[in-house]
Amino acid sequence: MAVRLVVNPERCTGCNSCVLACSFAHAKEYAFEKARVRTSRDAEYADARPRVCVQCAEAPCLAACPTGALSRTAETGAIAVDSDLCTGCGLCRAACPYDGIHWDATSKRPLICDLCGGEPECVQVCRFSKAITTRVVGEEDPA
Amino acid sequence: MTTPHMQRALYVDLTTGQTRVETIAPVLIEKLLGGRGIAAKILYDLVPKGADPLGPENVLILSTGALSGTGAPAAGRLCVTTKGAQTGVYLKTSAGGHFSPSLRALGYDYLVFCGASDRPVYVWIDRDGVRIRDASSLWGKGVRETTRTLSTGGSDRVEVGCIGPAGENGVRFANVMFSYYCSASRCGAGAVMGSKKLKAIAVDPAGTTVGVADPEAFLGAVRDAREAIYDDTLATQLYEFGTAADVDFFNELRSHPAYNFQRSYIDDPEGARRLSGRNWIPAGYLKRRRGCAGCPIACHRYTEVAEGPFTGSHSGGPQLETVNALGPRCGNTDVELVFRLNELCNDYGLDVSTTGSSIAWLMETYERGLLGEDVLDGIVPTWGDSEAMLALVDKIVKRDGVGDLLADGTREAAKRVGGDSWKWTAHGGKGLEITALELRSALSYALAFAVNVRGADHLLTETIAEFGGTKEAIAVMDRITGDAEKYCGGSVLEKRAEIVRWHEDIYAVSDALGICAFTTTAAYGIDEERAARLFSAGTGVSLSAEQLMKAGRRIVTLERCFNMREGLTRANDRIPWRMMNEVQEDVDPELDPIVTQEKLDTMLDEYYALHGWDPESGNPTRETLAELGLLDLLSERAVHA
Repeated sequence: MAVRLVVNPERCTGCNSCVLACSFAHAKEYAFEKARVRTSRDAEYADARPRVCVQCAEAPCLAACPTGALSRTAETGAIAVDSDLCTGCGLCRAACPYDGIHWDATSKRPLICDLCGGEPECVQVCRFSKAITTRVVGEEDPA
Repeated sequence: MTTPHMQRALYVDLTTGQTRVETIAPVLIEKLLGGRGIAAKILYDLVPKGADPLGPENVLILSTGALSGTGAPAAGRLCVTTKGAQTGVYLKTSAGGHFSPSLRALGYDYLVFCGASDRPVYVWIDRDGVRIRDASSLWGKGVRETTRTLSTGGSDRVEVGCIGPAGENGVRFANVMFSYYCSASRCGAGAVMGSKKLKAIAVDPAGTTVGVADPEAFLGAVRDAREAIYDDTLATQLYEFGTAADVDFFNELRSHPAYNFQRSYIDDPEGARRLSGRNWIPAGYLKRRRGCAGCPIACHRYTEVAEGPFTGSHSGGPQLETVNALGPRCGNTDVELVFRLNELCNDYGLDVSTTGSSIAWLMETYERGLLGEDVLDGIVPTWGDSEAMLALVDKIVKRDGVGDLLADGTREAAKRVGGDSWKWTAHGGKGLEITALELRSALSYALAFAVNVRGADHLLTETIAEFGGTKEAIAVMDRITGDAEKYCGGSVLEKRAEIVRWHEDIYAVSDALGICAFTTTAAYGIDEERAARLFSAGTGVSLSAEQLMKAGRRIVTLERCFNMREGLTRANDRIPWRMMNEVQEDVDPELDPIVTQEKLDTMLDEYYALHGWDPESGNPTRETLAELGLLDLLSERAVHA
């Protein structure tokens, strides 16, 4: 059952659990710069929102990539990066309407949500606030 | 990369401007875990007996926890340890927000501020190092402006801890505020910081990494702990409605203090309903739930007032204690006034609790005719009067006139006013006013407050399980007492020592690990076993649940030793006179709603015996210290590797 991420920004508490869980799931360490989900926070006004790829049906990043380094993974629908083809130009990031593509400063490559293979860690740690949830492909957006 | 099995302390001598970094001796991690535990040892070593809390001899320690910066649930807590400005005794206070994991990610588990600067400074820490900078332009500014100003000085991840004007002006219940609205409150850590002319600490963790010893095991432990929290009854409610969810319910139960603790009920059910967190959603006040770093619960609120005289007031909170202290405790049921006062206290860096208790005490003392108009600066402090409350907060911060009378706390104020006014102060035996618990019908809390090393409040020992209000609380009570059905209830005298000690231990463990006590006490998701799994996998120092709890007890005992050295005894383990001499009104007399000296003595005797402390002095015996391995720890200055 393929899923897509759904972001409900107004429900975000700014706790960064998603960032921590994502980083650890992918890098086995806690490093915000390794996470594929980041948050924008304005703590003064308690404003916060997760920034993450939501697997757009018609993904502007795919169209923007000049080298064909981005592709949609057949099983999950996540956008995959071929780091050999990727030149690190950053056009995919610029094209993303959700600011959901991040940057790995070490590899100089984009970091895009891979849906953790189908069971996203960020969703698991956002159980109460549900700022990041999933929907099953083909079903209505639950938000 | 920061690794949890190596802890480092950054010492900043504010007198000379010199800094140095030390690695903590591994044996201390095994014995005292981290955070609050090792901070207690550092304070014990560095602050001599009799030191003036506001003098350069005092030391201010910010400590993260052994699991800070990791994905352990709610690992966002920071402890601040010092000698309390209001009390002159041991002080551990803690704050949420995002400062603690950010500091730890930079490789510092402890910031130890010694000496005092002769001009306002702030400390900036990032991956490039530590800098002490001039803070002249920030001095006098509120918490919000200070935080906002410093937040723009680096990456988008800068976190700030600072004092407001209250700390600068030496108000003895000034807070240190973190991440805008998260307070390290009670007893005046902010005043200590102000005395050192330290306005703020800003940390920028961009580019940092935190590792754990056994990633696989740690992930399993984190998932298990999170599941337990998600399943917890109270955790769910704390998320939905915050700590102040049910003010109206507690009011009906006669357990919501009012009129300076003279009553436990305010005769305004509609007002009480409006004060309740549940009502802030339909009323439109709740703008957002706020989560500290890594917290699945997010009990904190962010509220705003859209119309009326306090239009535009917005702030983090208020929490339950704020609602009571600035609400019914002062005879006020206008929730929007609470929001406004909360905003002011947060921005001034004032402890909401003692601010409320001071004003409430003034109101009662005025009502009873002990205060002449000559000392009131034209203020008429009648119950719930918004004008008076707003004016008094302003005067306290400035230490102006009657505000100066209140700015040292009610123990000192009563000394100046004289007469019977001391009876109406709400402090126990250490100079700290109690928090919003009706102790006469909550005997575990009464004992916990009495023995609390920093003063009489609930924030080193949250014993909510005694009421058996949730299935998790009942399970905890079963484990502690062996028979929850028999021993649950606020008027039950037996087993209170066991309940308090278990909660003390787990609370100390929480603080040492840097995780919020709302995951271990109140909400009971993380028990000893889960905490031990998290600690062991995170740090690589393998401890059983029993060993972990023993370390918690070691921390509690070490803190007690600090006070023992200062000359405190059993006589300081008290609760306010009112709770021991005035029968609680409106309560079934069958419940015997008063904490008599006899009751307190019974509980204290059992408590000291359980700890192996001397019943006369209430202090740890040599044998107990030896059994806990504290004799060596106390005699050697073995903090550093």
